[in-house]
Amino acid sequence: MNLSPSMLAVIAILGLLGVGFYALLASRNLIKVIVGLQILVKGSMLAFVLAGRLVGNVTLGQSLALTVIVVDTIVAVIGLAISVQIRRHFGTLDVKALTTLRR
Amino acid sequence: MNPTTAFPWMIALPLVAAPIIYLIGRLSVRSRAQSAAPARWMAIVVLLVTAVLAFFAAQPILQGKTLTLTFYAISLRLDGVALLLGATVTFLGLMVAIFSLRYMHGDEGEEKYYALLVAMVGSIIGLGCAADLFNLWVWFEVMAISSFMLVAFYRDQPASLEAGLKYLVQSAAGSVLILLGIALVFASTGMLDLAAIRSVVNGPAPILIAAGALFIIGFGVKAAFVPLHTWLPDAHSQAPSGISAMLSGIVIEAGLVAMLRALGALAAVSSLWGVLLLIFGAFNMLVGNLMALRQEQVKRLLAYSSVSHLGYMLVGLGASITFPLMVGTNGAEGAFFHLFNHATMKGLAFLSVGALLYALHIARGDHGPLVLSDLDGASRRYPAVAFSLAVAVLALGGLPPLSGFMSKWMIFVAGFQSQNGWMIALVIFMALNSVLSLGYYAPLVNRMFRHTPAPIVENGARVSVSMRVPLALLTLLTVVLGFWPTLLSWLTAPAAAALMAWFGVQ
Repeated sequence: MNLSPSMLAVIAILGLLGVGFYALLASRNLIKVIVGLQILVKGSMLAFVLAGRLVGNVTLGQSLALTVIVVDTIVAVIGLAISVQIRRHFGTLDVKALTTLRR
Repeated sequence: MNPTTAFPWMIALPLVAAPIIYLIGRLSVRSRAQSAAPARWMAIVVLLVTAVLAFFAAQPILQGKTLTLTFYAISLRLDGVALLLGATVTFLGLMVAIFSLRYMHGDEGEEKYYALLVAMVGSIIGLGCAADLFNLWVWFEVMAISSFMLVAFYRDQPASLEAGLKYLVQSAAGSVLILLGIALVFASTGMLDLAAIRSVVNGPAPILIAAGALFIIGFGVKAAFVPLHTWLPDAHSQAPSGISAMLSGIVIEAGLVAMLRALGALAAVSSLWGVLLLIFGAFNMLVGNLMALRQEQVKRLLAYSSVSHLGYMLVGLGASITFPLMVGTNGAEGAFFHLFNHATMKGLAFLSVGALLYALHIARGDHGPLVLSDLDGASRRYPAVAFSLAVAVLALGGLPPLSGFMSKWMIFVAGFQSQNGWMIALVIFMALNSVLSLGYYAPLVNRMFRHTPAPIVENGARVSVSMRVPLALLTLLTVVLGFWPTLLSWLTAPAAAALMAWFGVQ
């Protein structure tokens, strides 16, 4: 069976999204949750590059993906910074331990 | 000043000023003075100048034109909705900055607070003006990033860290969905400009329906649509009170405006977008009110009430979008009037609660929440603050003749104009919800004015003048707009017309 490059890219995007959402929902460790978010965003970046190729505007697709990288890095840094503080105050990175607001 | 020069500066000034405010504040804190005073005053001056620039840029909009600006690949368009959002956020931001002079005084990282507040105001002004789908997302993320840091501002409080992380993870997941929606639109139309997309889209293409659904879910996280609202009560109750006012008063509404912009470009794809907004509106009103009824903490109660107020706005917007011929712009005008009123009323409510929280807890170094029983007899010790909180919650509950009643009434009338059984049933449901909401607003007033003061109230600290000034201004506005609702139609009528233009019905 022959797969075109676009088809392969679509499969890769769906795979990344699946892995990302699974990591987001199933993992109890905060660092893994943030890695899950990163994997999700990688899927959407690939979607931009593919969309640029499909409409014949490769440069625009790539520059959008680059912008996403910048924004996404900032979000990841803030998420990790909050995780560091959580480790300091809760003594653990377990999501299940964050229960001060559960009511 | 020329509107075309004022427009770019109105957006650029807060964004350029934010890092400068931080640097100057940081240097001042580390110097011998050890105070963040320059950051405080610079933030207030920057917001004032932004308001003046917005005034000049607004002139063509009020005559029914739009301003466009293209800066390399960034295209911005100032229209009615952008002006309404910009005016509301600048005004509320200024009130919050003045309130915070005392509230945040001497907190660690005070200079960061003001820099982030100014950045948040700038990003929301820009978000309203974005004319390009990808730009819209970038502004949206800038707003989100500044709000993450502000929610987790008290980094020594476990509860505030937990709220910040919950907020960050949920909104980051939502923003991935928005990105996928943008990629789908880009892949099928080859363009990103909202007006250009609107002109080429016709008929129900499955890929664009999927994109619209992704926009509703993705922006819906930020706009607190009901199954996606779970971050909201935590984030709004744990943030510093001024930021709670900003988040409730304008940030969730900015998410709503961003969603409307993106959906407007896909208006020709499906006629059901308006109906979906109405359905979410019904859920938001009901769930927000029911959850607010069982809250013990005042700030959580107000946060849940924001969920229900977003529902009222959705009903007005949905009525105009679904029944453009019968309702016309009336529903949207009511919804935009409610947007402004909600910013003033909810801003006033959170700032009043913040003043009490400061006097009763924070001034003594205690970071506990303000619970309902802390309000007992507050009117004896703090008559002015209790009065402003009472005005705010009664206006939120829709008691005439306060401003909240007027905007709900406009939405109610617009629903009847549709002459559709379902729509009329929905606005009657809205009126019932409004009555239900008095079930948690009225006890607050009762506690403050009729209960005997609790010991914690009698020993409370005093409330400073810089807190009283914004409270007095917002109270005055809430009352005045209730008596003369037409005072604001110069702002809401162009906004409603612009919304109809987004959805291609005029």
